[in-house]
This record gives sequence, C-alpha cells and structure tokens, in this order.
Amino acid sequence: MSTRDLVLAALFAAIIVALGLLPPIYLGFIPVPITAQSLGVMMAGVVLGARRATIAVLIVLVLVAIGLPVLSGGRGGFAAFVAPTSGFLFGWVFAAFVTGFLSERLVHGNQSGLVQTVSFFLAAMIGGIVVLYAFGIAYLALAANIGLKQAFVGSMAFIPGDVIKAFVAALVGRAVMAGYPLLRIRA
Amino acid sequence: MQSLYVEGNSALHRLSPRAKIFSLFLLGFVLFLGDNLPLLAIVTLLTALIYRSIGLSLKESAVRLRPLLLTIVIVALFTLIVSPWHVALATLLRLTALMLFAAAVTATTTITQFMDEITALARPLERTGWVKADDIGLAVGLVLRFVPEIIARYHAISEAHAARGLKVRPATILTPLIILTLRDADNIAAAIDARGIRRHVS
Repeated sequence: MSTRDLVLAALFAAIIVALGLLPPIYLGFIPVPITAQSLGVMMAGVVLGARRATIAVLIVLVLVAIGLPVLSGGRGGFAAFVAPTSGFLFGWVFAAFVTGFLSERLVHGNQSGLVQTVSFFLAAMIGGIVVLYAFGIAYLALAANIGLKQAFVGSMAFIPGDVIKAFVAALVGRAVMAGYPLLRIRA
Repeated sequence: MQSLYVEGNSALHRLSPRAKIFSLFLLGFVLFLGDNLPLLAIVTLLTALIYRSIGLSLKESAVRLRPLLLTIVIVALFTLIVSPWHVALATLLRLTALMLFAAAVTATTTITQFMDEITALARPLERTGWVKADDIGLAVGLVLRFVPEIIARYHAISEAHAARGLKVRPATILTPLIILTLRDADNIAAAIDARGIRRHVS
C-alpha cells in the first residue's frame, strides 16, 4: 500500500472519530440528528473506494480495541465489542467495503451529476444498510437469544434515519468527486 | 482524548495483556453455552467484583458503564416481550457479565500494551502482503494527531456558514470538511516518506 493510501485511510478514520465527538447536525426538513458514525462509514466508501474505506474502518476498530473512547457517546474499549449491538460495529468493515466496491463500479466520470448521485445512493443503501443490518441483526439475534425475525423487527426503527444518511452520503460523495476526485473509477 | 485505562496495581493490572484478552474470548464463548440462571448470576457477580477491584470509584464506573448498560437493558426488555422471562434474565446476566469483564480488561491495560499485542497479531499476516504490522501504529498515531484538527476545521466551517447567514446542513458542511482534510494527504505522505518512517517501502 502506498503511503498516500495509508494516510488517506487514517485521515478518514479521524473524520469518523470526529463525527462521534461533534454536536449532532439537524436536517432542515426533518428533525433527525445526524450523530451516528455510520454516516462516516458510508462516506468513506463513496469517497475512498473499497480498499481504503475498509482500512479506514479497521483503523477505527483498532482505536476502539486499544481503549480509546472514539465511538459516539464516549464509548470504547473491549466492552463496545461485546454489546448486543456490536454486530453493527463489526458490520462497518463490510459496509465500507461493499459501499466502496459498488461506488467504484456504478459511478463513471462521464455520467451526469444526477446519475452519479443516484449511483452513490444505491451503493450507500446496499452497503450501509442491507449489508450492515445483515451483520447487526444476525449478531443481535445470537447475543440476545431471540429469533432472527424478532431482531429484524427490533432494528427496523433505525432504518429511516439510515436512509437519510445514505442520501447525505450520496450528496457528499458526488460533491467530493466533483471537487477533489479520489475514487478509482473503472473505465 | 483520554484513554479508558485506569492507573493502578490490582491483580488484573499485573496479568499479561494476552492472558486477559484470551480470558475475555473464553468468557464470551463459555457464557453462551448454558442457560443455568444461578450459575450465570454467580459469574456476573464475580465479574462485578473483578471490575470493583481495579479501583474505580462508583461514580466513575457508572459514567463509563451507563451507555452500554442501557443498551443491554433495552435488549433484555425486548427479549422479555418475545421470549419467556428466564431467557430474558439469562440474556441480561450474560451480556452484563461480558460487558463488566471487557470493561475491566480495557481499564487495566495500557494503550502501549494493546498496540504491542495488535502488532504481534499482525506480524504473521505480513507474509500475505496485506498488512505491514508497523503501519498500524503509524495509522493510530495519525488519527490521534488529526482528530483535534478536524474538529477545529468543523467549527471554522460552521462559523463561515453563520457569517454568511447560511444554515448548517450536513452536505454543505461535510463536503468542505472532507475535501480540506483529505487534501493534506499528499503533504503528510511526503513528510512520512521524507523521514523514512516506513522503511520497508521502496
């Protein structure tokens, strides 16, 4: 890995950590606070692509493991890995990878801005919601000793917020690509 | 950023980090084997005693454990709705015991000890070419160095919004934040290579 890729991944990990420390941003039309760092995970995918986004998330998980309170609400340490909702934390790795992988393949330089935004949105939805919830729900069902169906129903409440986050990630992904392109696009 | 490590000299402090991490994995496995409520209660009590032994005040312990305990209680209540009471109670005890021991391991192990373990774990993977063990420490250092800078930049951008009478919206604040932050990457990478910090890279 080039030093530049390592630095880009580390800087994005720092952005994800900072997102957990910053005050929540409220969306204009719906009073939903954008606190969760899962937005940072989606943005890592759409901005950096699969490989560097996965490394960025792994760096965040290393910071959690060594006992730094880098997760939102000052959570951190091994306790964050053994909570019933930890599947959503481990799932970040795969969410970042899939979001990045799809972004690299769906988005092309010669598409219109709208098509690019929609493609980023799809990538963030599939990676940041479908893949992430698959891990989160499976782990929750196992840890809480409840059925997959119940775990699924219990997690539904968070989906609307995450759809909004995927939308924000798509807007940011498109804007960063226009302003400072980093995504390696397959021709 | 303050680490969750707690200064002290308890038995757990003196135990090797590897033994502690291994015990945590073992506990995580063993706790999910059975459903015996009295046994689970004893284990939970034991982990609570271990957590008390590291020398944190009750107040500080409450501050640290509250967010995760809240999640566990919510999950246990949800389990109570969909399952019989003894399943919910087993879930509550199991998750609480695991959380307490994990928090105790984190509180008694320094960042340096953890980094040494992670580097040692990554060392055999070097042969696959996926990871360079020393890069992990470098990346962690970079993050700690740049988090305060990113937060300062965030405040500067929101002040720029305020000065122009604009509302702070996620897309308008995150885009400049990401571009400004990542634009530094070339200079930082050049500085790292100029100092020969990653010797293994040609």
